Order: sequence, then C-alpha cells, then structure tokens
Amino acid sequence: MPLRTNADRLVEIAVTGSISQPSLRYPGYTLNADGVGAVLPGMSGVVYNARVGDPAFGWAGDHVEPGASIANPDSAADYALHYLTCIGNRAIVTSGLAKGAEGIVTGEHARLLVDFPPEVSDLLCVGDSVQIRACGRGIEFIDYPQIVLKKCSPELLNAIPIEAIDERTIRVPVTMELPIRIMGSGAELNPDFVDQDLMSGDRALMAELGIDRMRLGDLVAIKHADHRFGRGYRSGAVTIALCIHGDSVMIGHGPGILTLMTCAEPCIEWVIDPNANIANYLNIRELQ
Amino acid sequence: MSVKTNAERLVSISVMGQIASPAFPGLPAMPYGLTADGEAFLLPAYGGIVYNVSVGDSAFGWLADCIHPGVSISLKDDTGNRGLNVLACVGNTAVVMTGSAAGARGVVTGKSGRFSEHVIIHFSKADREKMAIGDKIIVRARGVGMTLDAHPHVKLKSCSPELLDGLEVTTTDAGKLAVPVVAVVPPHLLGAGAGLTSEGGSLHIQTADKSALKEAGLDALRLGDVVALADCDSSWNHGYLRGAIGIGIVGQGDSPRAGYGPGVTLIMTAAGPHIEPIVTPGVNIKDIFNLPA
Repeated sequence: MPLRTNADRLVEIAVTGSISQPSLRYPGYTLNADGVGAVLPGMSGVVYNARVGDPAFGWAGDHVEPGASIANPDSAADYALHYLTCIGNRAIVTSGLAKGAEGIVTGEHARLLVDFPPEVSDLLCVGDSVQIRACGRGIEFIDYPQIVLKKCSPELLNAIPIEAIDERTIRVPVTMELPIRIMGSGAELNPDFVDQDLMSGDRALMAELGIDRMRLGDLVAIKHADHRFGRGYRSGAVTIALCIHGDSVMIGHGPGILTLMTCAEPCIEWVIDPNANIANYLNIRELQ
Repeated sequence: MSVKTNAERLVSISVMGQIASPAFPGLPAMPYGLTADGEAFLLPAYGGIVYNVSVGDSAFGWLADCIHPGVSISLKDDTGNRGLNVLACVGNTAVVMTGSAAGARGVVTGKSGRFSEHVIIHFSKADREKMAIGDKIIVRARGVGMTLDAHPHVKLKSCSPELLDGLEVTTTDAGKLAVPVVAVVPPHLLGAGAGLTSEGGSLHIQTADKSALKEAGLDALRLGDVVALADCDSSWNHGYLRGAIGIGIVGQGDSPRAGYGPGVTLIMTAAGPHIEPIVTPGVNIKDIFNLPA
C-alpha cells in the first residue's frame, strides 16, 4: 500500500515553455580532463535517440538531455517553470504539428526535460509551446514529516514501491548507491533548482563501483547527503535522487542527479533493484 | 628561489575593478538566506569594504556569510570582470587610482566565485578608512602562464611569483613538489565550486557537519591559511579524482549555508601525485606578504 500523502490538497497549475534551440558560445569547445577541446551536442532541442531508460554514460555528447528540452524566454516565468514542475507531471504540446500530444516530465536541468513518444518527437519544432500541468509542490508523507520531498508528483510517489519499515524509516528501491565524495557541480545552487552532477572524472572508480552502468531515469541513493536546504555533507543523512541527464567530459561534472527525497538522519533505507527507473515506474517504455 | 620558474618571461598587465557594493536581490524577493537546517538568516555577505576582518583573522565565528576580508572589487562589464578575476593572482600589488585613498597599495589575497566573482584585496585598516565604494583599483596582474621547470605536471593558477617565493616550496627526493600547508581538506568536505572554473572563483570547504570539520582538523582555519585539497583535480574545473591534489588559500570566511563554508582560492593543482603537502602550523599569507594591520 502506498505511503499516505497529502496529495489530495495539492494545487494543479499550468506552466508553459517552448522547445529550446541548442546554442553554442563561439568557438563551442568543451574541455575534457586532459584539456583537449571538442564540440559535443547534448543539451537543448529535441534529442531523438536518447530517452529515459537509455545509458547515462557512453554518448558522444555532453550533458545529454533525453527527449525534449523546454524553457520559457521570460526569466520569471522560467523560474516558475523550474520551481513548480515535478517529475511525472503531464506535458501537453499546445502549438505546431504535434498539438495535443502528451508527454511526461522526466527531469529538470537548465531546461525542463519532457519525454514524448518517438512519433510525437518527429513532429516537434523548436519554438513549439509545451504546457505542463504542474503538481507536487508541497507534497509530504503524512507519517514521515522528517523526510523532505522535492519535485515528486503524486503519480511518481504512487508508482515507486516505497515500503514503510517502522515509524521513522522507509525503504526505497534504487539501482545503485553513490559515494558522497563524488557529488560535484551544483553544490553552489539551491536544492530546489535543477540537479547536481556526480563527478565522473575518476573513470576507474566509475567502473569499480558500477556507476558507469547508470541509466537515464535511474533512482540512486546518496549516503551522508543532506539536500533539504542546500546540497551538503552531513553524516547519517540520506538523499534519494534521479539521474536526469547524461555524462560529461568536464572535470567536476557527470550525469545529473536530481533530488527527490532527503532527510538529515538515516530515515531512508534502500534496496538495490535494477528496475528502479522512471521509464519503468511511469510506464514510459520497457527497460532493455 | 628553491624551484626554477619562467617568471622572468611573465607579462605584468593592468586589470581594473571598482570597490563593489554589498548587494541583495530586488523586491519582492526576501533578503534571507537559509542555513543548512532551514532557518532564515540575514547577515552581511560578499562585497564592500570590510573594516574589521582581515587576512590572518579566524575564518570562523563572524556573523556573516562567506565574508571577504578587506576590500572586494569587480567590474560591471562581464567580460572585463572575467579578465580581472582570471588574471589577478594572489600576491599581486593593487593600487587605488581614484578617491581619497588614491595611491594606497594593497595585495590580492583571494577571489570569490559564482554569484559574486570579486577579487579580494588586503589594504591596511587606515587605508580602508579613506576608501569609498566605486573607487577604482588597478591590479598589476602577473602570474598567469607561470610554470615550474622541474614540475611539468603541476599547474599554477592565480599564483604570483611572490607567492611562490614566499611559500618556500621544495623538491622532494622523489621529485615531488613539497608545499607547506596548515591542513589537508578531505574530498567529502569540498562543496560549492565543484565543476566550476579553477582559473578564478572559489571552492568551498563545507562546514554544516561540525564534528566532521573537527575530525578533519579544519575548525581553526584562519583567513589566508594555505591548505591542501585531497583527491581534487583542478586542472580546468574542480573535480574529484583519486590521487590528485590541489593547494589553495583560504580567501573567504565561513557560511551557515549547506555546501558552503570558507572559500578557497586555488593556486596549484596536479592530476597525479606530484604535490606533497607538508602539514606545518601557521602557514598564512599574512606572514608571507608581511601584510600591514
């Protein structure tokens, strides 16, 4: 039985953006750890061949954003898009050839990331409007107030098989655990805005721990990470997060990890489950 | 000098900034920050002329968020400010060019990162009394491009020849660069600044977990202390890599925010085990530069 939440009290509100155009700052090079520059695609636009459920590592790209990337050119409206949208919210195309088609929010990077079925992606044009039915801000576990939820839609919480262990503790399926010492870029931002990259620069460590098998959409656990009011180290804290974008060649960067649940004390346990991916939970596609 | 460099080939070039005003977000935003425990706080932060906090003072205990000791400068023009933030090196001479303190000389002691991007300069307290926000200050930038003849794997950043001289670095029998530091910061306590550029800005020691801070021997740091950063590769940005090591200067004070704490200005980095930090009490740029009170 799903954990009790206050979902019946949440407000559902429309926010809107449009399909973004990939942009480069001349001359467009991204430096890898050896200082070698390369021009790499991945951010903004519609990425046709990377969706949640696909690998987070191994693309000839940088920070690959699966699916369609949505932004609003008005800064204040864009912040509303960022702060109100939750993972699992419904997105509806409101202009262009795909008008009326529905997608699902799968991440938040510098833009909101929306998965559409391939036949819809084929019809999307840069600039097409996408409206999101934002719902999830304010959501709480009624019986676990010490666990802070961020960007969880009611649909996502219902779909993840979360178990009540005792009156203080829940258990969540994840595909892997990340060590706190590799949490990197994004530490300077507030934890209600976008993600924090894991730092994949130690390639041997990625292989040793199996982190390089991470998929877009995977749920992960980070021990000692307190993401309630910042992204910081606290012994005993736990954060459950979502992989929202692909790996990076840049030092201090890597796949994007977005906070879903966090607590300052060890109130969240986890169990390793290779199916702990939102492609599975939100019925987006079958995992390979 | 104990290690040979190409310092005689370095260019000395002007970069200008103006004394920056403290700043807050416009209405209707609230002026509060949030502590790591979610409590609202309203405290001085970066920018301005700080009359009573100087390099050599404790990095902890001030009622402030990442306070910059002395004087903070920036340039409103974004690309110009990048020139200032990247080219200014710790130890460079700064000269006040306008206002009542014109002619006063100071020393660059640090840089701040994303959201402020200031260069932090020590002036005597007497000189600070004469300054006004907006005064123009020229930094005679010299240091970017410096390399060590016998240590090609060690990259220098924001490091003036004067700082390198004063650090009294040596070469070990194994060929490593030995650098005296007051403490070594473990990778799990490196927070905000990860993934951002190492040519300017700051990488913060995070301090929300006080027992972890004490365990690492970091709870008595002073502004201006020289520290080592373990498993940190700052070749281009700051990031985790086992065996890599960085050296930095504590440039800014502690913070109540999660992920934040004293900010470190990076001065050296090696992606492999080419730097050997030698823990030595009291290594601080106040003494290295003989900064006036």
